[in-house]
Amino acid sequence: MMRDHTRIEELLAIRSLGGLDRQDVAELEGEMASHGPDCEECRRFETEYAETAGRLAFALDPVAVRDGFAQETFEQAFGSAAEPAGERRVAQRRRGWLRPLVGVAAAIVLFAGGVLVGSTVTEQPAEKTVLTFRSETESGTLAAAFTPGSSGVYMIGTGLPTLPEGKVYELWLFTGETPASAMCATPTSDGSVFGFSDASLEGVGLMAVTVESSDCPSAPTTQPVFTAEVSA
Amino acid sequence: MAATPLLEHVDARTHAEACVTADLSEARDRELVQAIGRGDEDAFRGLFGRYAPSAMALARRVARQPFLAEEIVQEAFLAVWRNPSGYDQQRGSVRAWLMGMVHHRAVDAVRREEAQRRRVEESMVSDPVASPDPADDVADAIDLPEERKAVRAALEALPAEQREVIELMYFGGLSQSKISERLGLPLGTVKSRTLLGMRRLRGAIGGWAR
Repeated sequence: MMRDHTRIEELLAIRSLGGLDRQDVAELEGEMASHGPDCEECRRFETEYAETAGRLAFALDPVAVRDGFAQETFEQAFGSAAEPAGERRVAQRRRGWLRPLVGVAAAIVLFAGGVLVGSTVTEQPAEKTVLTFRSETESGTLAAAFTPGSSGVYMIGTGLPTLPEGKVYELWLFTGETPASAMCATPTSDGSVFGFSDASLEGVGLMAVTVESSDCPSAPTTQPVFTAEVSA
Repeated sequence: MAATPLLEHVDARTHAEACVTADLSEARDRELVQAIGRGDEDAFRGLFGRYAPSAMALARRVARQPFLAEEIVQEAFLAVWRNPSGYDQQRGSVRAWLMGMVHHRAVDAVRREEAQRRRVEESMVSDPVASPDPADDVADAIDLPEERKAVRAALEALPAEQREVIELMYFGGLSQSKISERLGLPLGTVKSRTLLGMRRLRGAIGGWAR
């Protein structure tokens, strides 16, 4: 007797696009299990929808990879097998994030170390603005770098305290009294943190950072540990 | 609106050309993956050069952050290098397998950053997949033009409401429940539109009968 595959087909089609919710995943697993591992129809749908979804990627225009990215990938693959996976991952992440930020980070060091600590704005030659945060409770230096009038903000920190497991720093952009989440970032073991958000800074008068759970809540649940005013 | 016989002929020819090209391309990809299984570094370089730009486009589209996209693409390719036997020829093409890995990682990354995903949703409104792009000619000249043409044609042939949910789900990284909320549609409608759209795409892209 032919079994009904309508529900399995629907769930597999949605799964192939990454659209299943958690409870649907469990349902799909249950449905598939009830048909057994030898269900050819199930396997056929699974294969065909995965293939279809994978090919959708080619609707997009290709994006040229950054100079050096290929070489870094090859080095990761061929050249550093002795490096433990965890360290390699962290190093890779930091290298990738650091590269475009070298100039900005240097500016922060000069700015925070040589001029002042507090909520002040300074203009950089490339019209980048580096804004250091003020904190009553936290050690370390945290700064935001952005270009006035453009979208996008980097959050860069050094010497920050290690957060408990499952906790992250979340950056909020305040327009008037209303906070909007910009990004979440976790400090590495040496207290460094890097993050980027493509958020618009239009109308933002205050930036604040809170410690939140790693699921990045949509509204702050704790008091800010870092704040910085954004000059008009 | 019904297609004219001329258009049908052009469509059929385009599809046939895409199939032939895809077959040759797929055979080459499988050879590359087999060679990677033997530790052939040049094969890995070849696969990377062939698909990294498309993988990067997908990762950037879903994750919306260039550095995160690089991480996603690199992880996916390193997974190929370390475990090429993860590819099963019976389960589809190399390029779909590879893009599937990129897509899964990108969606996972986006969902870990719930707050940022809301921005992705908003940006999707003004960034449709099939919009004309002056860079298309350049892109087509360097990277899998027939494949790209066929997939775009298949997407564009979908009814708008089916294309919308599929694009939000695949390129926007949204779950069906989030799409339901965003579009103000019953969840069942989102599901049925997705299934109907994917059935059409399965026929148009993969050539499988519905």
